[in-house]
Amino acid sequence: MNWNTAVYIVMNPLFALVLSPLVLGLIKTVKARIQGRPGPPVLQQYYQLRKLFHKEIVYSEDSSFIMRLGPYLGIAFMLTASLFVPMVFIPQTGWFGNIILFFYLMITAKFFMVLGGLDAGSTFGGMGSSREMTVSSIIEPVTIMSCAALAFVLKTTSIPEMFRTLLAGSIFSYPTLILVGISLFIILIVESARVPVDNPETHLELTMIHEAMILEQSGPKLALVELASGVRQTVLMALLINVTFPWGLAGLAGCASLLLAAVTMAVKMLILAATVGLFESLLAKIRFFRLPDFFMIALFLSFITIVFELLR
Amino acid sequence: MQTIIEELEGRFKATPLAISVPGKNQKAVYLKTGEKSVPEIMLLLEGKGVILADLFAAENFDGDKFSLFYIFEKRDDPVMMVLVVGIDEAKAASVAAHFPGACYYEREVADGFGIEFTRAFDKRRLFLHEVYPEGFHPLLKSFENKPLDIDYSKLVKEYPFRKCSGEGIYQIPVGPVHAGVIEPGHFRFHAIGETIFNLEIRHFYTHRGLEKLAEGKTPLECCAVAESVSGDESAANVTALTMAVEEICGIKVPLRAWCIRTILLELERVYSHLGDLAGMAIDVAFPLGAAAFFNMREETLRQNGALTGSRFSKGIIVPGGLNRDIAQSKLGGLQAYTNDFVARLEKAVADIKASGWVIDRFETTGTIDKALAAPLNLSGPVARASGVQVDTRIDHPYGIYEKLRVEEYPREGGDVLARFLVKADEIKNSIRLIQDVLDQTGGGPVFEKYEAIEGYAMSMVEAARGQNLHWLWLKNGRVERYKVRTASFCNWPVIEHAVVGNIVADFPVINKSLNLSYAGNDL
Repeated sequence: MNWNTAVYIVMNPLFALVLSPLVLGLIKTVKARIQGRPGPPVLQQYYQLRKLFHKEIVYSEDSSFIMRLGPYLGIAFMLTASLFVPMVFIPQTGWFGNIILFFYLMITAKFFMVLGGLDAGSTFGGMGSSREMTVSSIIEPVTIMSCAALAFVLKTTSIPEMFRTLLAGSIFSYPTLILVGISLFIILIVESARVPVDNPETHLELTMIHEAMILEQSGPKLALVELASGVRQTVLMALLINVTFPWGLAGLAGCASLLLAAVTMAVKMLILAATVGLFESLLAKIRFFRLPDFFMIALFLSFITIVFELLR
Repeated sequence: MQTIIEELEGRFKATPLAISVPGKNQKAVYLKTGEKSVPEIMLLLEGKGVILADLFAAENFDGDKFSLFYIFEKRDDPVMMVLVVGIDEAKAASVAAHFPGACYYEREVADGFGIEFTRAFDKRRLFLHEVYPEGFHPLLKSFENKPLDIDYSKLVKEYPFRKCSGEGIYQIPVGPVHAGVIEPGHFRFHAIGETIFNLEIRHFYTHRGLEKLAEGKTPLECCAVAESVSGDESAANVTALTMAVEEICGIKVPLRAWCIRTILLELERVYSHLGDLAGMAIDVAFPLGAAAFFNMREETLRQNGALTGSRFSKGIIVPGGLNRDIAQSKLGGLQAYTNDFVARLEKAVADIKASGWVIDRFETTGTIDKALAAPLNLSGPVARASGVQVDTRIDHPYGIYEKLRVEEYPREGGDVLARFLVKADEIKNSIRLIQDVLDQTGGGPVFEKYEAIEGYAMSMVEAARGQNLHWLWLKNGRVERYKVRTASFCNWPVIEHAVVGNIVADFPVINKSLNLSYAGNDL
C-alpha cells in the first residue's frame, strides 16, 4: 500500500463523516427559510450528535444483541461504502470502486438497520422495517439499471475510473449523463428518506418509514444510526455531483490541491443540499402505493440512456 | 316536531313539564313520561326520523331519584324535544338499538351515575378508566368532590378491545402518548398489510371532572369551567353557558354585547379552521403550503389578544353580556385587518389546489358516508363535507345570527379534500360575518343585570367543530347540574368508519381533517 492509498482511506470516509451533519443542517435551514421560518442553526446536527453521545442507552426489554450490534455494523458498512466514491481526489489504486458492490454495501448497512427496527418488537419499528424493505425492493432494480447506464456510458464499472474518464473529457462528450444524473437524484431522495418518499421531519409515527425503524434506538447508538444515514446521503450526493460535474476533483494528492478540492467539493455539496431542500419543499409526500410511479421516472431515464448509447 | 309532541301526549300520556321560568326564546319542549313507555316511544321516534342530540342523567330532578334526559332534534325544525324519563332504580332500558349514537351516552351515564342499561350491546366503561374501583360513580350527589386515593398501578380489569384474527392481520396500538405535543388518545388498528381493516378508539385520558366541578358554583364562577371544556372552543362554550343562564332568568342581552360575542365566536372559528388547513398540509409533508395558514392563524390569535387580552378570548363573555366593553378603536383595528384577509386566504388555498401531489393525497381519502350523519348525529364541517346541510347558526339561530347571512357550503365528497374546502369556505364566510357585524355594531351598554335563582335551560351553539349542546340546572342560585355535549363527542366515533379501507399512513391526515377535540370529548 502506498501513501496515496493510505491518505485516501483515511480522508475519504472522514470527509463524509464530518460533512454529513452540515449537509443535513443546511437542508433543514433551506426548508425552514422557504416556509418563512428562521429554522434551527445550520450546525444544529453537530450539537445533536454531541448531545446523543453523552446520553445513556435504553434498550427495550424484548430486544436482543441485534439492536446492540446493529448500529456499529451499519456505520461500518456505510464507511466502507464511502471508500468507493472518491470525494476529494481519485486514488491511484484500483482496489475498490466497483459500483455494484458499492450499492450492495449500502444495502447491507440498511439490512442491519431493518433488523434493528424489528428487534425491539415495537409496532412502529416493525411497520417501518416492513415499509423500508418494500421501498428497497422496488428501488433496487432502478438502482441496478442506473449502474448499468453509467457503466454503459463510461465503459467501466469502477467508480474512480468513471470519474477519471469524466475529468479527461467534458460534459459534451457524455450528454446522456444528464439523464442518469436525474435517475441518481431520485435514488438519492429515496435512499436519504426525503419527501416525497418519506418525511424526515414528521412526528407522526404512522406515516414514518426510516424514522419508525430507529424509534427504539437511543443515546450514542442513535447517534451512530443518524451518522450512518448522513454518510449515506453524503456519499450518494458525491456520486451524483462527480458524475454530472466532476471538475474540482484533485487528480494528485498534493497538500494544496487536496485542500482546494475539499473546499470545492464541500461547496458543490452544499449547493446540491440547497437544491434538495428546495425540491422537498415544493412537493408533498406521495401516497405510499404510488411510490413505484415516482421510481419509474428514474428507471425509464436510465433505460433510455442505455438505448441511446446502443444507437450511437 | 310539533305533531310528534302531540302524538306522544295523546298516545303515551306524556305530560309537558312545567318549565319553572319559561324564557322568551325557549325552543325546547319538555315532556315527562314513565319508564315503561320508553321502548315504544323510541320505536315511534325512530320511524319519524328524529335525531338523538343528547342523552344525560340528573339526580333528584322533579321528584325522581334519577332522571334521564333524551334530547331530540329534527332537521329543519327549530323546536327541540326533551324527553324526561324518571327512574327510581339505577336501571333503564338501552335505546342504542334505535339510536346507535346512544351507545356512547349510555356508557357515559353508566360511568357517572352507576345506572345500568339493560340490553345494551356495549357495557364497557367510557370515561372511567380501568384503574378506578368498582362502584365509583363521581357524578352521584353522594360523592364528594375531593382528591382520590387510588392505586394507579393496579388495573381493576382489562379493557376489552374488539378482537380481529386471521391470516396477515396485525395489530397496531397507537398512543395514548404520541411523538408530537398533542392530546392523548389511543387508537387500536388492525391492518392487513398497509390497509386498515378495523379501528377502535379509546380516549378519555383527559378527564378533569368538569361537570362535577361546576356543581355548587354560581353561574359567573361557572364561566371559567365552560371555557376549560376545550381550549380552542372557549368562546363557543362560554356563550352556550351564558345563553342557558340568560334563558333561565329571562333577560335580554344588549345588542352591542351580542355583536361583540358574535365577532369573537367567528374569530374562534377562523383560527380553528386555519389550524386545520395548515395541519392537513403538514400531514402530507407540504409545510410550504401550510406556512400561510399558520401565519394567518397566529395573526388571528393576536387579534383576539388585542381585543380581549386573551389569545383564546377567555374571560370576557359572562352571563348578561360582557364584563367589559371593547373600545371602538380596537374594533376598527380588526376591521382594517380583515380587509385583505379573504384575498390572502384564497391565494393560500389556490397554492394548495395547484399542488397535484397534495390533492392526490386528499382526494378519496377518509370518505365519510352521508348515511352515518343522522344515526351518529354528526355536525359541523365534518357533516357538511359529506353533503349534510346542518348548522346550528341556521337551524337554531341564537343571538343575532337570525339577522346575519350565514352560508353553508355543502360538498358531497365526504373525503379529506371536501373537508379542506368546506373549512376554507367557512373561514371566508366567517370573515364576511365579522365585517357585517362590525358595520352594524352601534354603541350602548354591554351588560344587563340578571338574577339567576332557579330553573333549567338548554342551549346550543355552533362551535368550530359543530354543534355544542349545554344543559344547565340552577338551584338556589347555584349550579345543580351542568352537562356539556360537544360536537367532538358525537363526531369521534365516525373516524372508525372513515378510515376503513384506507392505508395506515393516511390515518394522520384523516384525523387532522376531522380535527376533533380530545378534551372537549372528555369533560
